[in-house]
Amino acid sequence: MTPDTGGAQSPPLYRLKQVERRYMKGEAEVAALRGVDLDIAAGEFVCIEGPSGSGKSTLLQLLGALDTPTAGTVQIDGQELGSAGDAVLTGIRSKRIGFVFQQFNLIPTLSASENVALAMAPHHPSKAARDERARELLTRVGLGHRLEHLPSRLSGGEQQRVAIARALANHPEVIVADEPTGNLDSESAGEVMGILTELQRDGVTVIIATHDPEVARHATRHLRLRDGAVVEDTAPSTGDGHL
Amino acid sequence: MVSLGYVWHELRRRWSRTLVTALGLAAGVGLVMGIVGVSNGLSNAQGQVLSPLSSVGTDIVVERTVGAADTSSTATTTTTTTPGGGFAGRGGGPGGGFFAGGADTSANTADRTALAGNNSSILTDLSKLGPAGTQYSNDFFVNGTLITFPQQAVADVAKLKDVTAAVPALSLQALHETGTVPTITDTVTTGGQTITQAVRPPPLTAAQEASVRACLQASGAFTAPPSGTSSGGPGGGGGFRVSAGGFGAAFTKCLPASYQQYEAQVVVPQQTITRVLNPPTTNTKTSGYTVAGVDPSNSSSGLITKAQLVKGTWFTSAPAQEILVSTAYASSNDIKVGQTWTINKTGYKVVGLVNPTLTGDVSDIYFDLKTVQTASSQPGRINEVLVKVAKSTDVNAVAAAIKKELPGATILTSKQLAGQVNGSLSNAKKLASDLGVALGIIILIAALLIAALLTLSSIAKRVREIGTLRAIGWSRGRVVNQILAEMLGIGVVGAAIGVGVGLLVCAGVDAFGPTLSYSVAGAVVGASSASGFVHSAAAAAAATKSIKLHTSISVLTVVVAGVIAILGALLAGLAGAWRAARLSPTSALRDLG
Repeated sequence: MTPDTGGAQSPPLYRLKQVERRYMKGEAEVAALRGVDLDIAAGEFVCIEGPSGSGKSTLLQLLGALDTPTAGTVQIDGQELGSAGDAVLTGIRSKRIGFVFQQFNLIPTLSASENVALAMAPHHPSKAARDERARELLTRVGLGHRLEHLPSRLSGGEQQRVAIARALANHPEVIVADEPTGNLDSESAGEVMGILTELQRDGVTVIIATHDPEVARHATRHLRLRDGAVVEDTAPSTGDGHL
Repeated sequence: MVSLGYVWHELRRRWSRTLVTALGLAAGVGLVMGIVGVSNGLSNAQGQVLSPLSSVGTDIVVERTVGAADTSSTATTTTTTTPGGGFAGRGGGPGGGFFAGGADTSANTADRTALAGNNSSILTDLSKLGPAGTQYSNDFFVNGTLITFPQQAVADVAKLKDVTAAVPALSLQALHETGTVPTITDTVTTGGQTITQAVRPPPLTAAQEASVRACLQASGAFTAPPSGTSSGGPGGGGGFRVSAGGFGAAFTKCLPASYQQYEAQVVVPQQTITRVLNPPTTNTKTSGYTVAGVDPSNSSSGLITKAQLVKGTWFTSAPAQEILVSTAYASSNDIKVGQTWTINKTGYKVVGLVNPTLTGDVSDIYFDLKTVQTASSQPGRINEVLVKVAKSTDVNAVAAAIKKELPGATILTSKQLAGQVNGSLSNAKKLASDLGVALGIIILIAALLIAALLTLSSIAKRVREIGTLRAIGWSRGRVVNQILAEMLGIGVVGAAIGVGVGLLVCAGVDAFGPTLSYSVAGAVVGASSASGFVHSAAAAAAATKSIKLHTSISVLTVVVAGVIAILGALLAGLAGAWRAARLSPTSALRDLG
């Protein structure tokens, strides 16, 4: 599938214009992002790379609607996030975005199945429907036999697969993953990347931050950040990318 | 808006946090329950102490006490005992006085005199008890601090609005005295004095001298010179010559009669001998008890009622020779129903044993009112009116009406009676009501703070978890509800444990708790020791009782305790939820370590 990179007719999934994000770190102001312009089309597999402190996580937070820019605009499907309230952002995260974290971030007191079902809670499907969907998703990531296991009884790779299943619970358009293989051995990392690649193939936009070249290899587009600015954007073969 | 499964697992799998927070709340609630239980127990104990008054249907006691402060502006005559034992009246407002009599502002003089006379008439005059060796046994009745007043007061009170019953009583202290009239002897020895008297006879008259000379000469004892009288010395040529017959005999013979025999009157000086006779040793034994005269025709109201009869019967139709004896006095004096008990040489038949009220007017022996009036020489006088009112809400109004009708009366309502209960019971009651409330609040606040801190600390540890929930699409409200739901669960656990702890505390207090003593102020006791009468110790002992503390927990208390635990947990949860709501969703990603 060749992604439509957003011609004049249809806007891209993401459009970032002159995005700046500054933090107060103690007394000093830190500019995590400075003047980022970026379009991401639906269905892309974008890999954000760069050294620590280059702004990878900040960009990921903006793309994941977890945060809003200090200046500039971030649009999803033409909807401006910078001026959106918490409820709107929550709705976007809940319906359109799935998160995968380096530390998996599973709820330690809940079983694999319950962790997945938890993400569906805001949408009020019946418990039976939630359980059914959780089982289906966990089976899909190869954990159909681990439904009732607590995270503490799962391996790192298994936990991350549960996290992916959770991210998929509400049929998201985008998967945002922050160093998803950072805490995994190479075998587990391979499995996780396989799943993500498969998702992208199914039409889900996948955006990951990593410095693992092996992970980056799966991406169709590579963004390299340094000091809060995009210094390299290897557009996919067909993309008009960022020129 | 709440994932119950999540709540349940959160509580169950983080059981130590759940338990610690719940225990904090439970300890607070449990202790507060304990305090409430003890406080209720004390109230019950006080109620139990006071209930006999209400159980006999007495709402108001009207009496007059010596030295009782009278705040009435219209009539105040306060009698006080002076060290000398007399009564000094002072005050005496216009138009009143006590209810002994009409216009006379010092009408109570009679009362005072009666009281003073009665209280001071207990001197035992041995001289009137009969010859030495006579066995005597006397009972004296004294009024103590309660001044008597005419029985008319009963009718005065009875006619007042809302008064359903007014019953007279005459409560007295009694002194029983037995002994033997001692023999009093005194031996006085007099006489044995030596009396010396000097008698100087008058000089001889010339006639006597001549007579003596003539006699001497005649007796031949002397040879008289021719002239002169006696100028010659012995042995002198011309002097006296003592005859051989002896001078003395002749001389004696020749003295005038008045020199031969003296007659003198000796008056022994008058002497008054005063001796202090020490009183003889007597074997008089005294013992005190209390008596009361009641209205035998009213068995349902008054100092003693038929309901308090334990054994035997109530006064019969001929009550004058009958008595009711309190069980305590009966057991200590081995008195049985049916036997005759002699007081002042009069035999009274013990018709029944009674268990009188603990409060105040406890007497050992109950007589027909007339009997006591006669025995104490106070016909037609009483010292208490026991009043029953229609409704408890009428008590204050009736009390005021009585005060107006009978100026100077000391009026005790059952509520005031509560204030006169002293001792560890009332101290504990005060402690429980004052300190208990403060302590309860402090404990609750402490428990709440502990719960809030534990919740906040738990939230701090769950920052990433909460961030993750926000990241995967949970709204702020949902996160807040989740935390509140968890705290609700903890509150329920805390409530359950707390109620358990509270019941245990109460059980512990019941098992090992103190026995409380209490006494009822003297004014209420029929006759107290304030008059200086000898039985202060006995009276005090009689008025001091003890009661075991039993905590009391009502269902309402349990429910309230549970609700407090739950509300406390929710309040603590709000603190945690507030913190959680302020967390940015980016905390899910930040500082991943």
